[in-house]
Amino acid sequence: MAAGILRVVCYLNQFFGQLGGEDKAGVGPQVVDGAVGAARAVQQALGDAGTVVATVICGDNYAAEQAERATAELVTLVAAARPDLLVAGPAFLAGRYGVACGALCAAVQRELKIPAVTGMHAENPGVELYRRQVYVVQTGAEATRMLPEVQRLVALGLTLARHEAVGTPAAHGYFARGVTRNVVADAPAADRAVAMLLDKLAGRTFVTEVPRPAFPPVAAPRLLKTLEGATIALVTDGGLVPRGNPDGIEALNATRYGAYSIEGKSSLDAAQYDNPHRGYDTTWVKQDPHRLVPVDVARELEQSGAIGKLHETVYSTVGVATTLAQSARMGREIAEKLRAAGVDAVILTST
Amino acid sequence: MRLELSWSVVGEVTAGPATRLVGQRLEVDLDGLRELLSADSRLARIRLDLAHPGERCRIGRVFDVIAPRAKADGGADFPGVLGGVARAGQGRTSALAGVAVVATDQQTDNVGTLAVIDMAGPNAALSAFGRTHNLVISAWPSPGTERSDYLAAVRLAALKTAVHLARTARETEPDRVEVFELPPSPRVPPALAHLPRVAYVFQIHSHQRPTGLDEGILYGDPVRRMLPTIVHPNEVLDGAVLRGFMGRSVTTWATQNHPMIRALYAQHGRTLWFAGVVVTVAQATEPERVRSALLTASLVAHTLGADGAVLTKIGGGAPHVDMAQAASQCEALGVKTTAVVEDMSTDGSAEGMLLFDFPGVDALVNVGSSQEPITLPAMDRVVGADDLAPKLLGETRATYGGLCGAIEQVGTTRVMAEVR
Repeated sequence: MAAGILRVVCYLNQFFGQLGGEDKAGVGPQVVDGAVGAARAVQQALGDAGTVVATVICGDNYAAEQAERATAELVTLVAAARPDLLVAGPAFLAGRYGVACGALCAAVQRELKIPAVTGMHAENPGVELYRRQVYVVQTGAEATRMLPEVQRLVALGLTLARHEAVGTPAAHGYFARGVTRNVVADAPAADRAVAMLLDKLAGRTFVTEVPRPAFPPVAAPRLLKTLEGATIALVTDGGLVPRGNPDGIEALNATRYGAYSIEGKSSLDAAQYDNPHRGYDTTWVKQDPHRLVPVDVARELEQSGAIGKLHETVYSTVGVATTLAQSARMGREIAEKLRAAGVDAVILTST
Repeated sequence: MRLELSWSVVGEVTAGPATRLVGQRLEVDLDGLRELLSADSRLARIRLDLAHPGERCRIGRVFDVIAPRAKADGGADFPGVLGGVARAGQGRTSALAGVAVVATDQQTDNVGTLAVIDMAGPNAALSAFGRTHNLVISAWPSPGTERSDYLAAVRLAALKTAVHLARTARETEPDRVEVFELPPSPRVPPALAHLPRVAYVFQIHSHQRPTGLDEGILYGDPVRRMLPTIVHPNEVLDGAVLRGFMGRSVTTWATQNHPMIRALYAQHGRTLWFAGVVVTVAQATEPERVRSALLTASLVAHTLGADGAVLTKIGGGAPHVDMAQAASQCEALGVKTTAVVEDMSTDGSAEGMLLFDFPGVDALVNVGSSQEPITLPAMDRVVGADDLAPKLLGETRATYGGLCGAIEQVGTTRVMAEVR
C-alpha cells in the first residue's frame, strides 16, 4: 500500500453490517474483509485518503448484555487488522449501538493507542457516557443522510489519524469533551467583557465563555433523632492538622484528608496543631484552632447533655483549588466512615 | 476630571553616562540610578540589568512590573506610597511607551509564587513584557529585614525607577497625548441620556493574606478594613491604585494601563455612559463578603445609577466567589453584569471552571487557566535570578500563571480557556 494511505477499520452493528434485523441482535463479534454495509459510505468519504481494510460487526444484544466480553473480543479483531483509525457507527439514536461504539472507541484508544471516532444523536446515551474520552460527532436521529454524516466523522477521523490539531467542537461538529485548553482570542478580555455587557443590556443574544456548572442540588437530610440523643461529628475543609501534618495533606489541590482523634480532649492545644491551607489567612486558626474546629464548645454541649455524644474523630482536609472529582470522592469516603461509626449529624466548618 | 497622558515612544534603551531621552533612545545612567536606590537601608545590594525584545533572555523571580510615569506639572507620583498623599488623576503625566520596570524578589525560597518573562521565543508574544525594553531590578535585603519590609523596599525601588525614567520625557515633545476626561457621573448631556450607564467594579486586593503596614494599595492605604468605595477612573490610571505584594496573574503595569477603564472610555458617549468605578476588596469571611457585596451593589445601582456593570477580580478562589456575590447582588437590583473570571479548574475539566452558580450571573468572559502547563524554551541568558539560572537557562516547564503578563486578571490579555 502506498505511503500516506491510511488503513481504516469500521465498526457496525448487525443491522448496518447487513447481517439482519433484531433477529440477529444476538450474534457475536465477527470480521469481514473490506467495507460492507454502512462501511461503504466510509470508504466513499475517505476517497483516496484511506482504505477500509476490514469491517467488524457485532449484534446489539450481544454487545449490551455481555459488554466487557464483547469489547475485549472486538478489540482483538480490530488489532488484527492493524488499522491507523477506527470509525465506529454512526449510531444515530440507537442506544445499544451507541454505547457499544463509545466503549469500543475508548478501549481501542486506550489499549491499542489507535485514534477512534464515532457519531451519534445528542440524545443517544452513548454521548453522555463517552464524550469525555472519545470524539463523538453529532448526527441526526436516523440514517436518512448517511453520506454527509459519515463525511464529517471521516474528516475528524483523518485529522486524528494524521495527528493534526483538532479544532473546536463547533468547527468539527463533535460533542464537547469537557476539557479546557488555553487559546489566544481575537480581542483582549476587557473588550470582550464590555461587548458582552452591551449585548446583554440591549437584550441581544450573547455567548458566555464559561458554561454554568452542573452542581447537583443536595438537599440537607432531616435529623431523625433529637439532638439530645444524636452523635455529632466535626468535619472541616479548613486545613487543621496535627503538628507535622502526618498525612501530608497538600496546601492546595488536595487529594488527601486526615482522621484525627480527639478522644480524652476537652479542647485543642494550639501548640499541637498546624495548618497548611494556602487559600486563606490561617493566622487566627493557628492561634486558636477552635475558631475552625470548635471542640471546646462541642464538649460543653456534650457535658450539659445538649447533644448526645461528640464523635471522637475529626476529619480534615484542605479545600482550595481542589478538583470536583477529588472533593466528591473524599466527601463520599468521609460520609461512609461517619455513617459506619453511627454518626447522626455533622458540623461542617469551611473557610 | 481631566488627565492627559503624554506618551513618548522609546525604541531603544542603552546604558549611558546620563539618564536622558534622545529621540527614541532612552539612555540610563545605571550607576547613578543604583546610587539613588541604595539610599534605602532595607536593601543591601542592588543590581540593574537591561533586557530587550528579541533577545534570548529570560527574566526570573519576577515580582511586579511598573510602567514608567512621572507627573509633569507638580502632582505627586504614586501618591501615598512614593509621593505624599495627593489627588491623582488630573493634570498631565509623562509616560514612556515601550519600556517597563521589572521588580524581582531575591528573598523568597518559594519561587513557585513568582513568575518569569521571556524576551524571545513563542512565549514572548503572550506577554506585553516580552515586547518592552525592561529595566530589571534585583535587590537583596539587608540583614534583619522582615519579609514585608523587603517587599515594600523592592516595590519602592521600582516606583522610584519608573518615575526617574519617565522624568526624562518631561521636557520633550510627546509623540501623542491621550486625554481621559469624565464629568461627574450624574451630569449626562440630554442628547446622551439614552445611553446605558455602565459602572466598573474593580476588586483591588484579596484578604487571603494580611497586608503589611507598608503595603500601600489605595493612595498608600493597605486596605485592611476597606469597604467598597467610589473612585474616579483617572485616579486608577494615574498611580492611586497599586498591586499588593501577593498576586500572580496581575501586575501594577496592567492597573496603570487599565484595559477595562480604557475599554469603557473608548465606548463612553458612543454606546454607553461610563458611570464610574467602585473599588472593592475580596473579604475573608462570609459576613464580610455579604456586607461588601450589598454595599457594592448599592453604590452601583443607587449612587452611580448604573444599568450595567463589569466586574474583575484579583487572586484565586475566594476573590472569584466574592466578585460573583457582588455581581449577584447587582443583578438582584436590576443591574446587568458581566464578569471576568479565570478558569479555576485544576485538572483541566470544564466542570471545575467556576466555583459559583448564581442566578443572573450568566455572562462570563475568561482569561484562561493559569494552571495549564507551558514549555519554556532554552535561552542564552537569565537575569533577575542568578541562583535559578541553571534551571531557567535550559528548556523547562512552567504554567501560564508563571509567565508574567500572559494572564492579566483585569482583562489586558487575550489568552482564554476554551471548552473542547
